[in-house]
Amino acid sequence: MTRWAMVADLRRCVGCQTCTAACKHANATPPGVQWRRVLDMEFGEFPDVQRVFVPVGCQHCDEPPCLDVCPTTATRKRADGIVTIDYDLCIGCAYCAVACPYQARYKTERRSFAYGRASEHEQARFDPDRLAVATKCTFCVDRIDAGLARGQTPGVDPEATPACVNACIAEALSFGDADDPESRVSRLLETHQHFRMHEELGTGPGFHYLWDRADDAPPPPGEDSR
Amino acid sequence: MSPYPTDLADAARSAPATPPSTRGDEAGAGTAAPVRRVPTFCYQCVAGPDLLTVKVEDGVATEVEPNFCAAEVHPGGGKVCVKAFGLIQKTYNPNRVLAPMKRTNPRKGRDEDPGFVEISWDEAMSTIAGRLNSLRAEGLLDASGYPRLAASFGGGGTPQFYMGTFPAFLAAWGPVDMGFGSGQGVKCYHSEHLYGELWHRAFIVAADTPSCNYLISCGNNIEAAGGVVGVWRHSKARVRGIKRVQVEPHLSVTGACSAQWVPIRPKTDAAFLYALIHVMLHEAPREQLDLPHLARHTNSPYLVGPHGYFLRDRASRKPLVWDEDAGRAAAHDAPGVREALGARVQVDAIEIGADDEVLAEGLLDGQTAFDRLVAHMAPYTPEWAEGICDVPAATMRRIAREYLDHACVGQTVEIDGRRMPYRPVAVTLGKTVNNGWGGYDCCWARTLLATLVGALEVPGGTIGTTVRLVRPMAERHDSVKPGPDGFMDYPFNPTSRADWSARPNIRNAYKTLVPLTGNNAWAQALGPTHFSWMFLDETPKGLPKVEPPDVWFVYRTNPAISFWDTPGVGEKIARFPFVVAFAYTRDESNHYADILLPDATDLEGLQLLRLAATKYQEQFWDHEGFALRQPAVAARGQARDFTDICTELAQRCGLLERYNAAINRGTCGVALKGEHGDFSLEPSRPHTREAIWDAACKAASAELSDGAEVLGLDWWKAHGFKTRPFPRERWYLYPTLVERGLRFEMPYQERLQRVGEELGRRLHECGMHWWDRQLGEYQALPPWKDFPALWEQRVVALGGQPADYPFWLVTARSMQYAWGGNAGVQLMREVAGNVAGHGGVVMNPAAAARLGIEDGDRVEIATPQRATHGQVVLRQGIRPDTLLLVGQFDHWITPLAKDFGMPSLNALAEMSLELTDATGSGADLVRVRVRKAPGRGAP
Repeated sequence: MTRWAMVADLRRCVGCQTCTAACKHANATPPGVQWRRVLDMEFGEFPDVQRVFVPVGCQHCDEPPCLDVCPTTATRKRADGIVTIDYDLCIGCAYCAVACPYQARYKTERRSFAYGRASEHEQARFDPDRLAVATKCTFCVDRIDAGLARGQTPGVDPEATPACVNACIAEALSFGDADDPESRVSRLLETHQHFRMHEELGTGPGFHYLWDRADDAPPPPGEDSR
Repeated sequence: MSPYPTDLADAARSAPATPPSTRGDEAGAGTAAPVRRVPTFCYQCVAGPDLLTVKVEDGVATEVEPNFCAAEVHPGGGKVCVKAFGLIQKTYNPNRVLAPMKRTNPRKGRDEDPGFVEISWDEAMSTIAGRLNSLRAEGLLDASGYPRLAASFGGGGTPQFYMGTFPAFLAAWGPVDMGFGSGQGVKCYHSEHLYGELWHRAFIVAADTPSCNYLISCGNNIEAAGGVVGVWRHSKARVRGIKRVQVEPHLSVTGACSAQWVPIRPKTDAAFLYALIHVMLHEAPREQLDLPHLARHTNSPYLVGPHGYFLRDRASRKPLVWDEDAGRAAAHDAPGVREALGARVQVDAIEIGADDEVLAEGLLDGQTAFDRLVAHMAPYTPEWAEGICDVPAATMRRIAREYLDHACVGQTVEIDGRRMPYRPVAVTLGKTVNNGWGGYDCCWARTLLATLVGALEVPGGTIGTTVRLVRPMAERHDSVKPGPDGFMDYPFNPTSRADWSARPNIRNAYKTLVPLTGNNAWAQALGPTHFSWMFLDETPKGLPKVEPPDVWFVYRTNPAISFWDTPGVGEKIARFPFVVAFAYTRDESNHYADILLPDATDLEGLQLLRLAATKYQEQFWDHEGFALRQPAVAARGQARDFTDICTELAQRCGLLERYNAAINRGTCGVALKGEHGDFSLEPSRPHTREAIWDAACKAASAELSDGAEVLGLDWWKAHGFKTRPFPRERWYLYPTLVERGLRFEMPYQERLQRVGEELGRRLHECGMHWWDRQLGEYQALPPWKDFPALWEQRVVALGGQPADYPFWLVTARSMQYAWGGNAGVQLMREVAGNVAGHGGVVMNPAAAARLGIEDGDRVEIATPQRATHGQVVLRQGIRPDTLLLVGQFDHWITPLAKDFGMPSLNALAEMSLELTDATGSGADLVRVRVRKAPGRGAP
């Protein structure tokens, strides 16, 4: 089996929002819609304060709350763990947006563009199917599927990898098959202490957060001296 | 190993003469390609260039992606900064100026509508050339001797990577005043530029992050300002286990990613650093210092005489050291000498002060510079500093000891087959620490911290990047030439009676006032660039009266937003008789322009750029080469490539031969004639941009391959870049100094002391006493001064009481905007909104509560003379006595940005002689009060 998963290393992320911008490019989302974004969080009280940057988006849950509430079966989960939305079936009721504990879903009622009227590049990529329906991070499923068809490996070959991962300038985001023990995400999870967001809800997110090296872990693979 | 395909990377590195047939053609070779990926670069900020590709669908640019082919050679994995993702919107922004325009309202003022109307390129160029030709006919200098043509650029020198052949036009023209600043000196790392180049050829000082294990960062916001390479390297270093201690008044994004945040009181960093030095010199075991290094490779053993100058051999006039083996004094470079680090002796010597004056001669008391240093630092205990910095003494003591414990004194490492000292500790400084009063003291203390453990310019330590003031610019090591007294040479502006420049060559008087700037083209922007603006109101005694330039070119900068006293700058630009603005959109500076010219922007223009090998910020590469910026899409509207504009202007001004000659000799980045070929342009006729950059491409590829390959523009368009390996050992200057028998000019600043004394004499001889406070900064061993008090005194001078203005207003770089000139790009506004502080003034909740202020409240932030307004953002990560305004906003005409409602420190900060230090720099710091204002939220 394959279970596509995202890993975010909180030690690495600097909150630069390059992933946010790259996602907007790759998916041509309208202003204000950020399928991938990075939260800027603070804990504690001056002077004992910690500030942490946390990439978020659809967690592609094992048990997606959004799926259960969808009255039209527009939201589905693939065998590889990717949660999808069929825009033809979606009626825009937004139950899913309410049900999602990760605030990952967006609904855009009308055409909106960066400067009011559509610029040339926005015109070229505008998709009317996305109006008045739920949208969210797809794990760049089109890239994954097309890449697999070409014999490429998502998380390794850029053409088959989610745009946010390709763009990350801190190597904070990794993507791959969590069921493949040799994948980068599996090795990261094996060698690090990690958690999933709102794990207590039983959603089984496919998005993992690293926060420290496992006590007995060897140095991470693939480090070079740059 | 890189996860990316390497075939194209290999192609780019090894340079096959035939472009790969599938490159950028998803529809297949030989067919019309509806989708292309065009390799180019982004250099919107000093942390570039980022090599990228632009996806072009049916002629429309749709996506920016990393150039995965560059992953193997780029020190940041070939990734691309967030700012580059704004380039698509930047291209298609409907607010662009897309045709030449002229002003129809002769009255200039903020409230005057310029009445811009569209004109033809021919009319625009005729008008400009007419003005310029009039200048040439009347004389290039005005009655005061200042250039009548002025030009201002922003972005820390990065406009150079977009202005095509404009440098050649300016070179052909003759004298140009490039000293009207747009933030230089107050928004950069100013003191570091000057002292860094003096001490270790470090225009920018950085940690050797790939090898460093312990980093003390005083306000250096590297995660926001270091670009892709900075973020990439520090991320790796964190995972590897580096401990970074971030010392700053607010918890920046860099502080957030650091092992520890030390919330220091603003402008007290020198006291903090002095306390660390005190612990190292007075509390730690002496053997934890690199004693052999101090004795052999610094001026620590030089004997200092009773007047504070080196004791010298009477015949050779070389500085003396005490030879421990021989038990007598010897010249510092005497063969076989074993220098004593500590000695108080009487020696037969001469002591020479300013203007070659003999201060003493005969049997003189001497003490080593190191002993003087030890005594000098004795008062600066952590307990002393605690009261100044508001940092616990125990914290400083622990940091000093951790620094020593991590220094690995005595250890070595092999780099490229060469054994070098290994000292994985570093200290970096941020801009407000570097700038203005206290900048010298902090730079000196930082360099001393490295020197004491031998961590300057060695693997793991504190190292320099590019040189800009010392020549040659392309290679730091070649600039290491023997100077006086066993140190590197440095091109001080003369201070001798015979050669001092009493009449400035440009309006900011850098050559007259700031010996450290040197006198090349970069020096103009590294003097007191705010003086160009200030002196328009009142030129101080002794300087020729400053009048506006007859013609001012302004490109990729908006000083009416990015400098201080923004209302004042705008009012002064309004006095300029003829302003030519290369205009992306309307903005607060080109509001006063007479002509607006639309140049081809980032994704539309053509230019070759020299890549690496060591550049600004943390741009140390293991490769060097060139990259091409090329049109991904056709220029929109009537926008024209900058090179074509320059060629036409040169022709209309009768400068074509000189312009072509400047291009030929390498003014635009690569000499067209060299040992590997002659690709020179025929000088008497105009050349297209393609012809010019084709020649540059050929010369560049010949240079890279030692003449083996000559690759024209077509090859570079297909591949985007070409590199060759650059040895890592060249990152470090230490081996070159040792090879050339030179010492680091640390810790004792005898030369600066002499220069300052001479400068003071020259100024006083001309009746100029208004620079006396600045002259006081030329000290061989700088003592702590109460820097915060200088800002409190300004409150009094402006008619207020310090207690009524209890907050320090500071600013911080925004990675999404810094240097980018992209405030009008919606995508940047949107994504930056996820980072705290982009929506208003950041304030500590406890401090706010005491004033009855809640999150989101609209407040007035005021000095005794000025006020601005904004929305409060409450965050725990800021000192209660500090307010933070991120970035530089407060736009009032730039489309989109004018609706942000975001205040700016620049509107409150004054340009002040009193707050200008000896290097001509000022700090981004204002004492303010804050109180609730009517209304809630953005205006």
